[in-house]
Amino acid sequence: MKVDWVTLGNFRSYDTLEWEPDPGVNLLLGANGAGKTNLLEAIAFLSTLRSFRSVPDTGLIGDGGAAAVIRAGVSSGDRERLIEVELSRGGPRRAQLEKSRLQKTADLLGVIRVVAFLPEDLDLVKRGPAYRRDLLDAVAVQLWAAAHHDQTELDRALRQRNAFLKSGLRDDTTLSVWDARLAQSGGRVMSRRARVIETLAPHLEMAYADIAGGAERAAIGYVASWGGDIAPEATAAEFTTSIMEALERSRRADYERRLTTVGPHRDEPVLLLDGSDTRTHGSQGEQRTMALAVRLAAHRAVADMTGEPPVLLLDDVFSELDADRSAALAKTLPPDTQTMITSARPEDVPVEGRVWRVGEGRVRPAGGDTVGR
Amino acid sequence: MFEGPVQRLIDEMARLPGIGQKTAQRLAFHLLSVEEADARRLAAAIGDMRDQVSVCERCFNVASGDLCGICRDTRRDQSILCVVERPQDIVVVERSQEFRGLYHVLGGSLSPINGIGPGQLRIGELTDRIGREEIAEIIVATNPTIEGDATAMYLARELKPLGVRVTRLASGLPVGGDLDYADELTLGRALAGRMEL
Ligand SMILES: Nc1ncnc2c1ncn2[C@@H]1O[C@H](COP(=O)(O)OP(=O)(O)O)[C@@H](O)[C@H]1O
Ligand SMILES: [Mg+2]
Ligand SMILES: [Zn+2]
Repeated sequence: MKVDWVTLGNFRSYDTLEWEPDPGVNLLLGANGAGKTNLLEAIAFLSTLRSFRSVPDTGLIGDGGAAAVIRAGVSSGDRERLIEVELSRGGPRRAQLEKSRLQKTADLLGVIRVVAFLPEDLDLVKRGPAYRRDLLDAVAVQLWAAAHHDQTELDRALRQRNAFLKSGLRDDTTLSVWDARLAQSGGRVMSRRARVIETLAPHLEMAYADIAGGAERAAIGYVASWGGDIAPEATAAEFTTSIMEALERSRRADYERRLTTVGPHRDEPVLLLDGSDTRTHGSQGEQRTMALAVRLAAHRAVADMTGEPPVLLLDDVFSELDADRSAALAKTLPPDTQTMITSARPEDVPVEGRVWRVGEGRVRPAGGDTVGR
Repeated sequence: MFEGPVQRLIDEMARLPGIGQKTAQRLAFHLLSVEEADARRLAAAIGDMRDQVSVCERCFNVASGDLCGICRDTRRDQSILCVVERPQDIVVVERSQEFRGLYHVLGGSLSPINGIGPGQLRIGELTDRIGREEIAEIIVATNPTIEGDATAMYLARELKPLGVRVTRLASGLPVGGDLDYADELTLGRALAGRMEL
């Protein structure tokens, strides 16, 4: 999968930008604040329909403007497609595929797939379970576009149920209706997470070994909000039943705390190293390796499942790593993958590729193919 | 900014859903260019609608008397009710020409986020009708959204104990969408393939 060209209109720091990246490795160099992350953020947005910096759409629109536009030519196999997203202040998003307006922006999902390494990826390992749930859900969307719909519905049902509990009313019929609706979408989300874990696990083990070169075994586990593991082969309907039962058991607690205390939004994915939780037991170095391994595994898993490597984005990642890990990551970068690497310090990037200068709202070729180090 | 009265009309129209400044401007100048009688007919239609429209006492559809046209039509099947969120949804179901029963307009769907519970919808009125009229089946045609689904489930739980059959339109409706956007064919199929709730 490749981005043949991308144009931005009033997106963050860019007034108008046209860029034709190389189908191979691209090194985007520029000082801090030059707009490197903004560019990768725009490309990732087309794939996930959200900002990887978790800002609302209005934060992506250039200061003072009414709307931002991201347009790209994307090719997959020998099929080229034109996609376009418009974000406007106050108004709904609009999306086009091959110049025809899509009823739902979500219909764009799957047209371009992206896996991004971010400077704050250590959060995936060190911070709370929400980061890891998001990771699984994001991989699910890359694998099955319909996952997005279920995640949105789960979120909405949860917010409705919580709003009902907040109201302080006690009405079991109304609550049971929200239970059922939450459990219906929740079951689908849980079964997808289970399948993502199953798909990811072997890749994670190998990716960790590739980077660390050691004998530790990396794995991923999942603890449901009601305690205990989940059966990976369980169907969405079986998860729905489990969620319903858990919600019924916690009904009194939920009325009292005015909050939904069990459900997929409280589940805890765990990243394990030789069977113990990397979050609590891993050294700083192991946590960093785990963060890289998780992203690399996601890339390999999606490539494997879809038959095509997603576009790989590495935002300012090498500057965070020591020389050994930098070299190991560079060595494990997948071949035949369009890759975009940003850095303020070219000497930190031990990868060869086409070099671009980013700054003053532009992206210019830095004259011929250059070596990053 | 245009001359006072022109700008006033533009501002009024721009407040309507789906109409922005540009469209409002185009419409205003269009109304300025057509025959005066045509423009006045539009103004009168808006006035008449507000003066003469009422709400049907029985089904809460829009009406121009005590009862709406559908409730007055005695040839319609009085034993089957289609429950919708808004009066506009009736028009959509009617277009499919598959349904010959009566309607009941709830006035929205359950949404605690917006403070809408069963008490804010015309559910009590619906149970009253079931007690009063000879109703055998209720088809729930709320929107295929989270809120529409929850409302359908709520109705099933409340109404089934009253001894009526409660069904929901079969899927085939665009998910996450409004009934408004469903084309007639899909809706016809959805009606034919409705499921027990
Ligand atoms: N919505 C926006 N409108 C205009 N400029 C923005 C917007 N959001 C961010 N910027 C600008 O973008 C720059 C940061 O760009 P970024 O891509 O993060 O830089 P880097 O090259 O360091 O990754 C800052 O100068 C910031 O002011
Ligand atoms: Mg940056
Ligand atoms: Zn009526």
